[in-house]
Amino acid sequence: MKKKLVASMLVLTMVASLAAGCGKDGGQGGGSTATSVSGETEEVTVEGSDITYHKATDLTTDDIELTYFHFDQDETVQYLADRFMEIYPNIKVTVKYENVSTYDDTLLTLVNNQETPDVVMFSDADFALSNAILTDISGFYDTDPETKELASTINECKIGCYGTDARYAVPVKFFPGVMYVDLNVLKTLNIEAPSRNWTWAEMIQLIKDATVLDSPDGQAYYGVGVYNRLDSYYGIAAAQTIQGEFGFDGTDFDLSIWAVGEQEFADLATGGYRAPATETQEMEDWAGDWEAWSGATGHVALFTEAFWTYQGTWATEAFQQYDLDIVPYVVPAVSEEDASADHHSIATIDFGGVTTACKYPREAYELLKFMSFGVDGWNTRIEMYNDTSIVNASGLPLKNDVMPAPITTNEEVWSAYIDMYCDGMDETHKGYWEEYFASCMQPIPYGWTSIAGYWNYCDEYFNKIGIHTLVDSGEKKAADFADEATTKANYYHAKAMLEYFGPDSLYNVLTEEQTQLYEQMLEENSN
Amino acid sequence: MSKMTKQEKKNRKRVKPGRLARREAITGLLFISPWIVGACIFLAYPLITSFWYALNNIRITPMGKSFTFVGHGNFTQIIMSDPDFPTQMIDYITSTILSVPIIVVFALIIAMMLNENIKGKGFFRLIFFLPVIIVSGPILGMLTQQGAGSITAIDTQAISGAIESFLPHALAEPISELFENMITILWYSGVQILIFLSALQKIDRSMYEAAKIDGGSGWECFWKITLPTVKPMILLNCVYTVVFISNNDQNAIIELIKGAMFSGTREKGYGYASAMAWMYSVVVVLIVCIFAVLLLARKDVYERQIRKYKKQVRKEKRLAKKIGRRSARNAKKIQKARQKRGYKTYDGSGDY
Repeated sequence: MKKKLVASMLVLTMVASLAAGCGKDGGQGGGSTATSVSGETEEVTVEGSDITYHKATDLTTDDIELTYFHFDQDETVQYLADRFMEIYPNIKVTVKYENVSTYDDTLLTLVNNQETPDVVMFSDADFALSNAILTDISGFYDTDPETKELASTINECKIGCYGTDARYAVPVKFFPGVMYVDLNVLKTLNIEAPSRNWTWAEMIQLIKDATVLDSPDGQAYYGVGVYNRLDSYYGIAAAQTIQGEFGFDGTDFDLSIWAVGEQEFADLATGGYRAPATETQEMEDWAGDWEAWSGATGHVALFTEAFWTYQGTWATEAFQQYDLDIVPYVVPAVSEEDASADHHSIATIDFGGVTTACKYPREAYELLKFMSFGVDGWNTRIEMYNDTSIVNASGLPLKNDVMPAPITTNEEVWSAYIDMYCDGMDETHKGYWEEYFASCMQPIPYGWTSIAGYWNYCDEYFNKIGIHTLVDSGEKKAADFADEATTKANYYHAKAMLEYFGPDSLYNVLTEEQTQLYEQMLEENSN
Repeated sequence: MSKMTKQEKKNRKRVKPGRLARREAITGLLFISPWIVGACIFLAYPLITSFWYALNNIRITPMGKSFTFVGHGNFTQIIMSDPDFPTQMIDYITSTILSVPIIVVFALIIAMMLNENIKGKGFFRLIFFLPVIIVSGPILGMLTQQGAGSITAIDTQAISGAIESFLPHALAEPISELFENMITILWYSGVQILIFLSALQKIDRSMYEAAKIDGGSGWECFWKITLPTVKPMILLNCVYTVVFISNNDQNAIIELIKGAMFSGTREKGYGYASAMAWMYSVVVVLIVCIFAVLLLARKDVYERQIRKYKKQVRKEKRLAKKIGRRSARNAKKIQKARQKRGYKTYDGSGDY
């Protein structure tokens, strides 16, 4: 009897634990049917903050729960979510963080387990579109007055629409493209600081002039320290008609444009103008330390570092010892005409969207806006960045931890942002930043975030062949690849457009004309 | 024992088990039911599902999974148009076949050393088992990235050069890689050392004493006593090592399968990854079979001699029986011939 009892208990325990493990959320039932933003708001304040919030009145008053899945700075997102819940007490926001390296895998697993979050961040557009994760938010986006204030290229180039008439994504994190110049290096080398409206050719000339291998202090000076590749920058800077990497004009690619930049970048390497990379023998020979970073040597004139490097590294106390005078320059345009005015320039933008599983798209859109481009959200962010007592897991103020820039052009937000960003700077340096921020608002994101089929193309063709390596090493010329690479890029793009948005797809939003265009493009480039 | 008649068999079937027997059977079933349920849910169901996935193109969307039946399309595509998978597979096969013997032999040597009467035996055992804890997860990846996978004192470049000078490149490359990742390979031997150690500790010491009295050297004791005793564990360790290497975080094919699983490309996804996983599983099973065949077929000298002797004895017995039967037949023939008087001897007397 005892045996039987033990066995029965074993079975029961196992079944119970299985049921608990495999149990699914029963769902929230109901769901909202709103398809647009009414624009009506009421002013509310929250305890402990001076910000006056504009609470949307067309949101549900039922108690609901929304899930926000992201790879952003976690403390920042949690802070914003808490504030959102204070403004909308009936909406409970659950924030889920996942490291970017395992982000897509985890998201797909959640989708597979029917636990799809309501709002998600993403960077690989092909992943999000091929799995139909994003829902059409055009209804909300088009009727929302705040979207008119976004950086001009977002609406003009329909970034986030992926070549369709529907909107699937909005920019969540915006890191404008920037060229950092170390004025102290220029002073040491007796080189005049470049014009603020510099051209691409002037930049290349500066790199060459600032490379002095036999310097009097015994350590060579290099023209450029590389983090981001210059060919990506050139691909956008070449013309104002370009809407994406590899010379993408909204429909077609033209890699002959990219090839010029790629070759120029490779020539800088073979010509010895590029500072050694970290963890190389060249670095050890040059800086005396295998793990040294060119940005801390004080012997590099120009950097293609990311936007966050300034606040995250150079502006920190630890870097005051290196005697650097880093100032921002806008990524130069190739033509003088473009360079003389605000122009398209590359930017790192992470996107976000509402998922197709979301039962409360109107409320989810409001959450997405608050977390990304919304004025209320940005005011909250700035308040948080100003409070240096709020720190990340390493004890660093959140301002120094991958802080983005506002993608809205709202003047109040920008004024507060610049004050916060330039806190502690002298007027000259603040002037540099003000000038830079005023000129960086025509961002064009990297291809994998904004062009359908781009990542598949890179994954299965461009990177597989190893074009960058072949050209950088001098083994091949970039121009040798231009034609074939253009054909392949167009093929992958057309294929993706038909698969994601064509008549047999889950979205099925292409017009007959668009379908014919992509079918023809696919046929023409299929060999 | 006489065979049962049909009627007996029929009658036997009709006998119902007693209540006690039934109770025991149910209790037994209940006890193993967690395993049965677990195996059905976590083994059989995923296996069948993944095979079904392998025959389909699958997209996972928040609205549910969309399946398009492609038959063997995924398998064909992997072989015909994915250059990475076959290349990685060949690399995996060669490196596994080369590294498994090294790991097992190393584990045996260390286990024998740890089995000796030395001071701080427990501490040394701990040291050799520690990597099992450390190498799990991403830590090994980080260590390998830092160059901790190779022995710095060894000039791997020189070894690679020397190997390539007398071996074809295809064979020299995996052998060179072995030297480059020597530490990693040796780290994989923690569990195997423990298995060997447990087998070594079960060997009766008196066997060694007896062998020593008969003049057996240490070398002979190893070949005649130690190795035959731990031989079943060699196969076990080989299987364990193959499985460990095949499912390791550092395994490039696992990375490839994971990459395909979460790929945005429409042709890839769960179906494509499942097809890859099935092909990979078949290869892993084949490698296990190769080791099993090699190790099961090999008997040690003593056993081989005994088997040979037994075979010889059986052969002789069969021959003796054959001769006996032939003699009996001939005797009968002669008897008959005698009776008929049709048989004559050379001298014509009829007597033999």
